[in-house]
Amino acid sequence: MSDVSLAGPPARFRPATGESAGARWAMIVIAFTGLAILVFAPLVAVFVVALADGVAASLQSLASRDARDAIRLTLTIAAISVPLNAAFGIAAAWLITKFDFRGKAFLITLIDLPFSVSPVVAGLCIVLMFGANSAIGGWLVANGFPIVFAMPGIILATMFVTFPFVARELIPVMIEQGRAEEEAALTLGASGWRVFRTVTLPNIRWALLYGVLLCNARAMGEFGAVAVVSGKIRGQTATMPTTIEMLYQEYLSVAAFSLAAVLALLALVTLLLKTALEIRHADQLAATHRH
Amino acid sequence: MGRPLIHRSPMPGLGLSMGITLTMLSLVVLLPIGTLLLKGANYGLAGIWETVNRERVWAALYLSFRLSLLAAIFNLVFGVLLAWVLVRYRFPGRRILDAAVDLPFALPTAVAGISLTALYAPNGAFGQLAAEIGWKIAYTQWGIFIALVFVGLPFVTRTVQPVVEEIEREVEEVSATLGATRLHTLRHVILPMLTPAALTGFALALARAVGEYGSVIFIAGNIPLVTEIAPLLIIIQLEEFNYDAAAAIGIAMLLISFAMLLLINLIQVWSRRRIGYV
Amino acid sequence: MHIEIDEISKQFGTTAALHPVSLALPSGALVALLGPSGSGKTTLLRILGGLEFPTSGRVLFDGQDATGVTVQERRAGFVFQSYALFRHMTVFDNIAYGLNARPRATRPQKAEIARRVTKLLDLIQLPDIGARYPSQLSGGQRQRVALARALAIEPRMLLLDEPFGALDAKVRRELRQGLRDIHDTTGLTTVFVTHDQEEAMELADLVVVMSMGRIEQIGKPQDIRARPATPFVRDFITA
Repeated sequence: MSDVSLAGPPARFRPATGESAGARWAMIVIAFTGLAILVFAPLVAVFVVALADGVAASLQSLASRDARDAIRLTLTIAAISVPLNAAFGIAAAWLITKFDFRGKAFLITLIDLPFSVSPVVAGLCIVLMFGANSAIGGWLVANGFPIVFAMPGIILATMFVTFPFVARELIPVMIEQGRAEEEAALTLGASGWRVFRTVTLPNIRWALLYGVLLCNARAMGEFGAVAVVSGKIRGQTATMPTTIEMLYQEYLSVAAFSLAAVLALLALVTLLLKTALEIRHADQLAATHRH
Repeated sequence: MGRPLIHRSPMPGLGLSMGITLTMLSLVVLLPIGTLLLKGANYGLAGIWETVNRERVWAALYLSFRLSLLAAIFNLVFGVLLAWVLVRYRFPGRRILDAAVDLPFALPTAVAGISLTALYAPNGAFGQLAAEIGWKIAYTQWGIFIALVFVGLPFVTRTVQPVVEEIEREVEEVSATLGATRLHTLRHVILPMLTPAALTGFALALARAVGEYGSVIFIAGNIPLVTEIAPLLIIIQLEEFNYDAAAAIGIAMLLISFAMLLLINLIQVWSRRRIGYV
Repeated sequence: MHIEIDEISKQFGTTAALHPVSLALPSGALVALLGPSGSGKTTLLRILGGLEFPTSGRVLFDGQDATGVTVQERRAGFVFQSYALFRHMTVFDNIAYGLNARPRATRPQKAEIARRVTKLLDLIQLPDIGARYPSQLSGGQRQRVALARALAIEPRMLLLDEPFGALDAKVRRELRQGLRDIHDTTGLTTVFVTHDQEEAMELADLVVVMSMGRIEQIGKPQDIRARPATPFVRDFITA
């Protein structure tokens, strides 16, 4: 760079850090283009195909018996498995962050395990354990409580794939918050349950909501594991995602995509709430979500 | 034994939280996986090998692994770029872009699957464009690749983002005062700092892609030996009530998952030892 | 090198970090910029190093206008308060960094780089730590490595931002002498920023007392102590 006139700073002072404006814009354009093709286009396509025959046709397909049964079943599954996983997440996070014991790291690895197991393999495991030709499964079927090809199996499969969600959100937050507040409450004579309710819960509520949100989105959308264990019996064990598959394979494109659009809306609402939490309650979420 | 199994603590709820945690972990995760492993043990290594060592199974495992690797490599490069852009630059639409990164986590895989197929099928918006230059995407390995890129997209970005945020400006400044060009700084200072996190994200994306089912089967075409992925093979065996064969393939995939979990942990241990942070 | 600061000012948005200040630093001097936080001393140092561009005014090195010279071409050995060592590189690679970053045409041979790094490790009296990583060093060792890394590029001046700020009192005193020795050996014009008046008085040939973006007084330590120019200086040096 040449020397500078006395009039003041040169028109283009290159800061020591940061890229040139050209490189910056090139990278921003690549980011936008990449996400437009990879993420926005599929999202838009769902709604375009769903509304191909107009809003009325789309709504009508959602009112069909198959669609209504599937929506009801998916809501029921989520209503059961998400609270159970939330309870597990709170218990596991409490155990891991409030006590010191050997094998803690191993326990965390085990809790994270479902993230690295294929949903199909997860479904397979449940079929092998509770299927009609296994020892436990045979006995349960004989006593009128089938698990595979029935609701309990779907719940189990859903819980498997969403297992770590809540615990993963809570553990880093509770580690950061430490034990001092709970210890203070204990010295003041509060009971254990009261300490949890009045001290811990208010501190972790946003992180808990965050975890529940992600857990719920995955629970309603799970396909692979549920496809294996459910048997996809219309009106009985067909969830929204498996119904989408059946409709799609019957070339009922508008019906399939209309149901898919409902799930896509759910995904959008989830992202919206998640972003709102990241903006408004950043200080009470795990550090990796603050931006 | 110097260290007690459990340190005494005035905190309440040890029994309750331990009970809930271990019971649910066992019931939901450990017992089912244990059943699969037990099945494998009964079946024997030779039996598993006999099932896996068939052309169709090898082809499926190889396909799943190869395309997952390629997709994860793509996501590694794009994910690091995305993380950098989202943290370092301020531009209109940044928040939307940031939120959009998570869409593959939030959008059900079956929805993504049929939607990608609609886009890339020969009569779809992108498929038509590609067809004009004689490029078939849906129902070929290209289609599988795109679906796997989609599901693995968030991992690298989300692991690298916090690391970019933590880089002290002074490290970049000192590099400049030592005479390094911006490109040299990026290549020799910034990139090595991002590498451990990027590799962790890469391994997570890879693990996810290898086991992915929902977003792939619609676009794959599922032709044996050509576009048939390993998870689909398990489902086909199950539909034929071939539980032993399904279990054998399942164990092979489980072992791949464990290997990758180990890889992630090794990366983290290595980077913590060497650089003192993850 | 003789450094002249000619009517330099710096605005950050609407706030003025530096009102126009002028200052001449004789070649080979050891200068302290002394002042409380917010006095503009670090901003001035960063302008000298090319990390910040002044809103108005000029910087002259040996009489030549260097205001627009980029940070890369300025060859100012800069030591940050946090040291900003590269955590993923060994001490050796940290020190060699500036030499390795040169374009191929001016980059020394590998053996020559190794020779220079070894010499610098001797200069900072830590000859055996080349293979270690920064995380394996004490605070005092890190500071000396940062100093060696800055010296490796054969700088025209040495700029240090609170070089002892992150150290405990005992190490601080040792390293003060270390900096004095290195300054005397290299003969480089050296400017360091500090808020510690004792440190400035003890170490520097010339002390520049700053407050609120203005220079309150320039002088030898004993002169400043004997004849504080303003009430601020009197309060600050007796504090």
